[in-house]
Amino acid sequence: MQQLSSLIIPLLVLGIISYGVFKRIAVYEEFIDGAKSAFSIAVNIIPYLVAMLFAIAIFRASGALTLLLNLLTPVANFLSFPAEVIPMGIIRPLTGSGSVGVLAELINTHGEDSIIVKITAVMFGSTETTLYVLAVYFGAIKINKTAYAVQAGLIADFAGFVAAILVTYWYFS
Amino acid sequence: MLNKIWAGLILTGILFALGQDINDELQNTFQNGVIHPVAFTPVNEQRHSSPLNLLAENVQVTLLIDEYKLIAAIKNHQHLHIKLDQQSPQYLQDIGALHGDKNIIIASIVSKDDRQLNILLPELHWRKLRAVTQAAFDMAEFAVKLAIGLVGIMALWLGLMQIAEKSGMVNCLVKWVRPVLRWLFPNIPNNHPALGSISLNMTANILGLGNAATPLGIKAMQQLQELNPHKNTASDEMCMFLALNTSSVQLLPPVTLIALMGTQVSELMIPIILATSCSTIVAVSVAKLYARTNKQNSEPGK
Repeated sequence: MQQLSSLIIPLLVLGIISYGVFKRIAVYEEFIDGAKSAFSIAVNIIPYLVAMLFAIAIFRASGALTLLLNLLTPVANFLSFPAEVIPMGIIRPLTGSGSVGVLAELINTHGEDSIIVKITAVMFGSTETTLYVLAVYFGAIKINKTAYAVQAGLIADFAGFVAAILVTYWYFS
Repeated sequence: MLNKIWAGLILTGILFALGQDINDELQNTFQNGVIHPVAFTPVNEQRHSSPLNLLAENVQVTLLIDEYKLIAAIKNHQHLHIKLDQQSPQYLQDIGALHGDKNIIIASIVSKDDRQLNILLPELHWRKLRAVTQAAFDMAEFAVKLAIGLVGIMALWLGLMQIAEKSGMVNCLVKWVRPVLRWLFPNIPNNHPALGSISLNMTANILGLGNAATPLGIKAMQQLQELNPHKNTASDEMCMFLALNTSSVQLLPPVTLIALMGTQVSELMIPIILATSCSTIVAVSVAKLYARTNKQNSEPGK
C-alpha cells in the first residue's frame, strides 16, 4: 500500500511529461503558463482562510468542545458506541491538524488494535476538512455566498461519521 | 448558514471562555493574593544547618504546597523558583504556563522564619480569555503561512495540468468519465474545460493525492466561475463539486493516515472505502435535492 502511494506521483509526472513530449507540446512553456496563477490564487485565499481558522481557533481554545463532548457522551452510551470517537466527528470538519492530533492521541492511549482507533481512523480516512476546503475553494474565486454548500458538506460528514461506526463494527465482528 | 456557523463558533468560544474565567475568579482557583505557608527542608541538610543562612544562598529546597512535594530553589533572597512536573496540581501548572513556562513558577517570599516560608504565587486572571485571544492571533498568522505554503505545490500541479490539458491527455480521461459527469453536472456544456479539471481533481482524490487535489479543484472552481451567472454566489455545480470534495471519494488512504498508522492501514481500507462511499452518496443526493428545491422556488440560494 505504501509502495503504491509513493509510486503514483512519479509515474503521473512521467506520464504527463512524456505524453506532452510525444504530442510535440512546448512542455516547459506550458508548465510556466499554468503555474503562473498559483501566487495570486494563494493570496486570494488568505482572507477566507484567516476568517475560518481564527473562528475555529477561538472555539477550540475556549474548551467549549469538552462541554459538547460531555453533553454527547450519554447519547453515545445510549446508542452503545464508544464516546471516545465523538471528538473526531466534531473536529474533522473543522481542522485537519486538529484531527490528526486527535487520532495520534487515541493511538497513544488505546493502541492501534482497539476498535476506538479503528473507527476513528476510518472516520479520518473517509471524510474531509469541510470548512477548510470550503474556505480554500470559494476563497480562490472570491465567492462569499456559499448557497447550500456548507449544509451539503456537513450532512455528508455526518453520514461519513455514522457510516464509519457501523461499517467498522460490522467489518471487525 | 456559513454566517451562522462562523458567528456561532466565535460567540460560543468567547462566551464559554468568559464563563469559565468568571467561575475561576469567584472560586479563586488560582489562589490570587493567598499567602501560602510552606514547610521546607534543604535538599542537602548537612551543608546548610541554619535555615536563615540557607536563604542567603542559591540553594535547592524541597517544600510542600497543598500536600504536594515540590523542589524549589531560592534566588536573590526573595524569589522561590518552584519546579513543576506532570504530577503537580493543575492550577500550579496553569499559573506556570501563563507566565511563560509550565514547568516553573516564580513565587515571591513574603516572610520567613525557622523552617517556614510564607510565599505568594504569581497572580493569574482571565486564563481562558487570554488563551482564546492568543489562539486567534496565532491562527490568523498560521492562515497566511498555510496559504503561502500552498503556492509552490499549486504551481507544480497547475503547471503539470496545463501540459496534460494541451496534450489532450485530459480529454481522454474526460471521455471515460463523461456519463457520470453528465449526470452530476448537467449544466456544464459538453466541451467545457471545467469537465477536465473536475475529472482530474476526482482522480487525485481517489488516489489519495491530497496536495494535488486542491490545486486541481481550485482550477475547476475557476472554470465553473466562468459559467456562473451570479459571480459572488455559489452555483449548483460548485456546491455539487464541493460536496464531492468534502466527502472525499477515495480508493487509496490519505498519506497522513499511512504516516500515523503504518501498515495497519491496509486492513482498514475496505471499511474506509465503504464509509467514504456512503458519505459521497449522501453528499451527492443532498446537493441534488437542494438544487432541485432551489429550482422549484426559482430563487438564488441564500
